[in-house]
Amino acid sequence: MRHHKLATWSVMYLVLGVLAAMWMYPIVVAVVKSFAVGGTGNYTAVLNHDRFDYWSAIGNSFMLAGGSAAVIMIIASLAGFAFARMQFRGRGLLYKALLAGMAIPVAAVVTPLFSTMNDLGLRDSSLGVLLPLVAFNMLVMLLLMKNHFESIPQELVEAATIDGARPIGVFTKIFLPLSGPALANVGVLSFVYCWNEYLLPNLLLTSPEKFPVTQAISLLQYERMSQEQIGQLYAGLILMTIPSVIVYLFSQRYLQSGLTAGAVKS
Amino acid sequence: MRQFGGRWAPYLYVAPIVVLAAGLLYYTVGYAVWASLTDWNGLTRMDFVGLDNYTRLFEDRTFYIALGNTLKFMVAAVGLQTVLGLLVAVIAKERLPGSNLFKAIFFLPIAMAPAIIATVFKYMFEANYGSLNETLRAMGLLGQDSTILWLGADLGVWSIVVINVFAWMGFSMMVYFSGLMSIPDELYEAAELDGAGWWRRLRSITIPSLRGTTSVLITLGIVGSLKTFDTVWLTTQGGPGVSTHFLSTFLYQERLNRDAGYSSAIGIFILVAAFVLAVVQARLSSREK
Repeated sequence: MRHHKLATWSVMYLVLGVLAAMWMYPIVVAVVKSFAVGGTGNYTAVLNHDRFDYWSAIGNSFMLAGGSAAVIMIIASLAGFAFARMQFRGRGLLYKALLAGMAIPVAAVVTPLFSTMNDLGLRDSSLGVLLPLVAFNMLVMLLLMKNHFESIPQELVEAATIDGARPIGVFTKIFLPLSGPALANVGVLSFVYCWNEYLLPNLLLTSPEKFPVTQAISLLQYERMSQEQIGQLYAGLILMTIPSVIVYLFSQRYLQSGLTAGAVKS
Repeated sequence: MRQFGGRWAPYLYVAPIVVLAAGLLYYTVGYAVWASLTDWNGLTRMDFVGLDNYTRLFEDRTFYIALGNTLKFMVAAVGLQTVLGLLVAVIAKERLPGSNLFKAIFFLPIAMAPAIIATVFKYMFEANYGSLNETLRAMGLLGQDSTILWLGADLGVWSIVVINVFAWMGFSMMVYFSGLMSIPDELYEAAELDGAGWWRRLRSITIPSLRGTTSVLITLGIVGSLKTFDTVWLTTQGGPGVSTHFLSTFLYQERLNRDAGYSSAIGIFILVAAFVLAVVQARLSSREK
């Protein structure tokens, strides 16, 4: 029996070890290459680059992802509250119409979206990227918030209403305080999705000083790359990953539960 | 009793989301439908041409290459992510010493933007000085002057599959892991008393209990495949030639070629495919309940 268990464990470690080596390989390559040719000089070169401004890229990403996440949390919880707890004409139809919008891929509507933002005078502006980021991510979050609000006992609403509370009071004084984890899930998930977005900024932004990290990578690439430039590119990629790893470490619990909830409920 | 929220207030609560959805999602879809029936160049020219763009699409060799690549990617990436995710989750549940470290390694790519992952792989896969070929040469698995064109016409799509599996396997692992936690221990204990081995328990208890999780992961993966853009655009850009185009990058290329009407027709094709998949998913999940 003990021998049997030892054999099983060995096989499992072997499988995990081989897979882990495959998963570590690209990361090791990136780290080693980031010091190749120029050593730590690659990092200082990237931080003092003539085309690429590290802090502005990080700032832009934080602004876009943080701003979108904040707007999504507000509008998805307001609408989720109404769809979960209020009766109004057209509610069912409206909700279904909104959920159908979840299936729209950004790629399918790029040119009309570009023209629309252009007509609104929002091309090459951060607001012009933030609005579509919100629009394309808010509906999944609406679904999550509505499902969450439906799980709060109706008795709480009734007791508060008898005490004379208005709906907005029920929302801010009862529902929101009970929704910390759900809001954190929605906030973290929206932040990560918007941080990772590449297509929308690439479509809508042309000024390098407005680029978020995903788009700023292009500023470190050239038609023909010398080994030194490749080293700097890798150094830049590592520097640009640090903020998202930090965010990830602080929000791991909510990111994991949010991703799982998003997967299971959508 | 008076309705909670009254008659008009609810509309105020839903207004921001409805306005954004109408203005940026449904309006652009309508715009795309109209544009696909014109010879729009993305700027001013926009004359009605009927279904010309669609007949051109279904006769375009590149469209079938892009569709084929998208389907190959869908099957291979979704299959690998699901199988490996399940395997790692099942092993991690055995609580081997150090299994948390392994989980962290597989989950690490989730903390990296796909655009960054794609760029790391692009230079790693480069044929002449890329690290992968250099490593293979150092290990003697590849001749000193030989190259493997990882991002070439033959292997490109499969390399893109590898990048995607690297990025998302940890997600499947985590979803499976939380699914495993909800299987009652008694089931395993009973099976063990009956003398069922590890493999037998996996096949008769674990996999059937996780059927719901598996179908969710497969649908998410399929929908994700239709949306895949960054990984392709930032590595091969559809090349060499048009050999590694996906539907989304083919669309983007036509847009850059100022063929916005034609590009919109590709968009409508993607949109219809996405809606069909969403409806199939809804049917399947309601049947399961």
